[in-house]
Amino acid sequence: MNLRKVLTVSRIFPWIEASDKDAAIREMVRLLAASRGVTEIGPLLAAVLAREAKESTALEHGIAVPHGKTDAVDDLFAGIGRVPEGVDFGARDGEPARILVMTISPLARTGPHLQFLAEVMRLLRDPVRRQGILDAPDAATILRLVVA
Amino acid sequence: MTHAVTVLMLQLAALLIAALFAGQLFERVLRLPRVLGELSGGLIVGPFLLGRIPIPGLHQPLFPLDQGGVLPVSVELYGIAVLASIILLFLAGLETDLPTFIRFSGVAGGVGLGGVVVSFVVGAGAAVVFLPGVRGFGDPQALFLGTLATATSVGITARILSEKRRMSSPEGVTILAAAVLDDVIGIILLAVVVALARVTDSAVDWAQIGRIALRAFAFWIGSTAIGILVAPWLVRGLKRLQSIEVIAGVSFGLALLLAGVAEMMGLAMVIGAYVTGLALSRTDVADEVREQLHGLYAFLVPLFFAVMGLMVDFSAIGPVLVFGLLFAVLGMASKIVGCGLPAMALGFNLRGALRIGAGMLPRGEVTLIVAGIGLSSGAIGSDLFGVAVMTLLVSSVVAPPLLSRSLDGPSGYRRADRAAADRGTRQVILKLPSPAAAEFLRGRIIAAFRGEGFFATRVDLKDPIYRIRHDEINISLVQDGASITLSTPVEHEQLVRLVLIEELVELKALMGGLETAAKEASDRLVDGLFEE
Repeated sequence: MNLRKVLTVSRIFPWIEASDKDAAIREMVRLLAASRGVTEIGPLLAAVLAREAKESTALEHGIAVPHGKTDAVDDLFAGIGRVPEGVDFGARDGEPARILVMTISPLARTGPHLQFLAEVMRLLRDPVRRQGILDAPDAATILRLVVA
Repeated sequence: MTHAVTVLMLQLAALLIAALFAGQLFERVLRLPRVLGELSGGLIVGPFLLGRIPIPGLHQPLFPLDQGGVLPVSVELYGIAVLASIILLFLAGLETDLPTFIRFSGVAGGVGLGGVVVSFVVGAGAAVVFLPGVRGFGDPQALFLGTLATATSVGITARILSEKRRMSSPEGVTILAAAVLDDVIGIILLAVVVALARVTDSAVDWAQIGRIALRAFAFWIGSTAIGILVAPWLVRGLKRLQSIEVIAGVSFGLALLLAGVAEMMGLAMVIGAYVTGLALSRTDVADEVREQLHGLYAFLVPLFFAVMGLMVDFSAIGPVLVFGLLFAVLGMASKIVGCGLPAMALGFNLRGALRIGAGMLPRGEVTLIVAGIGLSSGAIGSDLFGVAVMTLLVSSVVAPPLLSRSLDGPSGYRRADRAAADRGTRQVILKLPSPAAAEFLRGRIIAAFRGEGFFATRVDLKDPIYRIRHDEINISLVQDGASITLSTPVEHEQLVRLVLIEELVELKALMGGLETAAKEASDRLVDGLFEE
């Protein structure tokens, strides 16, 4: 899928500060909602936390993919966050999550929710690109690394 | 008018019932292809056997012989057979795996092309040598017999390969890819031959043949290229209507439209239908359209074979019986040599070459379509039409046991890199505790892909094999007992893994809740057993 259609610089959040997983998710949901002009984040947060409660969305190499489905959104909300200090997401390799890829999509409608995550995952297999995201000075550089 | 329609309805009833019963008999009892049964059904009720008996109340036989044209069937009935052949070729086009064709065009190209060229030359040559009055390769009779000799129908081969678990062997992959090429070349050849037969007599000059062939080829390649470019755009527009019935209906409408245009251009209608199918085959709705039209196909296609059967005139076959048998044997030999030699050049040993040759032997619907067009256009007579039916019969009886026996034994490939055909594909395998659990998860995986906007279609009614498509993404899912295997191009492996992870997470959550609820419910049910 074409990531340019979903990601813009306003949906890249390079400086997330959080002491734990819930706080990181809350901050990322707030930023993502704000980038779409949504102020009522309750249902969005509940959807992401409900999925996270079933099983951690932590993958490996410091990546986590918190996501959820709710009818409080009418199309795909997607963004990438960076937690410079890292936060424990319960990953199998024990690495704290530094790159968060988040999607929130409508419950009923079909849509490319996992395709977005899969496409980003495919790019993040590359260790050089992962390091590039961690070292990037700003959101625009991260976006370039992801959509290039 | 009313009388003609009444006769048509009675004819359709007799043909449909005879074709379906005979088809079942051939397939289940005689273990022969169903198409032969359907053909025989038509033959039995047709004007040369039972159909000639006058029916009380109707004041005529059910199938009167004299229909005032070259065919022993009415225009109305023949029209329905043409409609069936349009559906058949439209679906054949839709099933054509164009990317596989392009990917293997180097490997299987030689096999497909070799088979077509050798069998065409031998088929047309047999007409020139053995048939009085046929003066050269440019004669319509020679051209039709050459085209008849080329058509391969790999439906039977695919079934045998699948039964012997050789579908993904180098031979299996080569046969299936070569058959696509064979179909494409066969259709182009048919386009050229029909165009030629309509405008020429036997004293034709080669410059004229070249011009006509070029025009037919240009129409084919031009309309296919435009179709492939326009189809995704058209399907995107139609998808807005959110009705697969409308998409399938409009697609079939386009097949009919192009069939008409092809006919107006002096080509056969089936060419237009095939081109439409081919153009739509790369869109993600191809499988759904096929599924929507399956019902229509199931009724009309047996009718097509039955109508072809009722056109078989025994008295006309008698004088060409020896030629028919010779033609059938030569046709098979030319396929084995034409496909086998290039296969040997491509790395197969003699055993592999024989397997590939045998796999390309079966003939089917295309043979009959070519023969039917030849008969209706007057290019061939009832005698050569009978020869076509004999060819179909002989190859259908001989090819399956030959192929089945040839597949026993060691590999037919000389080279070590047998996995070359599967390069670029990844398999993700899930082992579940029981087939029932695998079936449940399979349903959820299919639903998850549909939720992502994919089209998922079961491609085999007997075994749980699915094709999951979205634009260019093509994934297959196979459930074998308690295991589920998803095959995906390497670039989409992440997606498959994510879908599976999500479904397993959901399944675990569901099972956790279910265990507690089931315990409580079971307790209540046991209590209820002893309540007064």
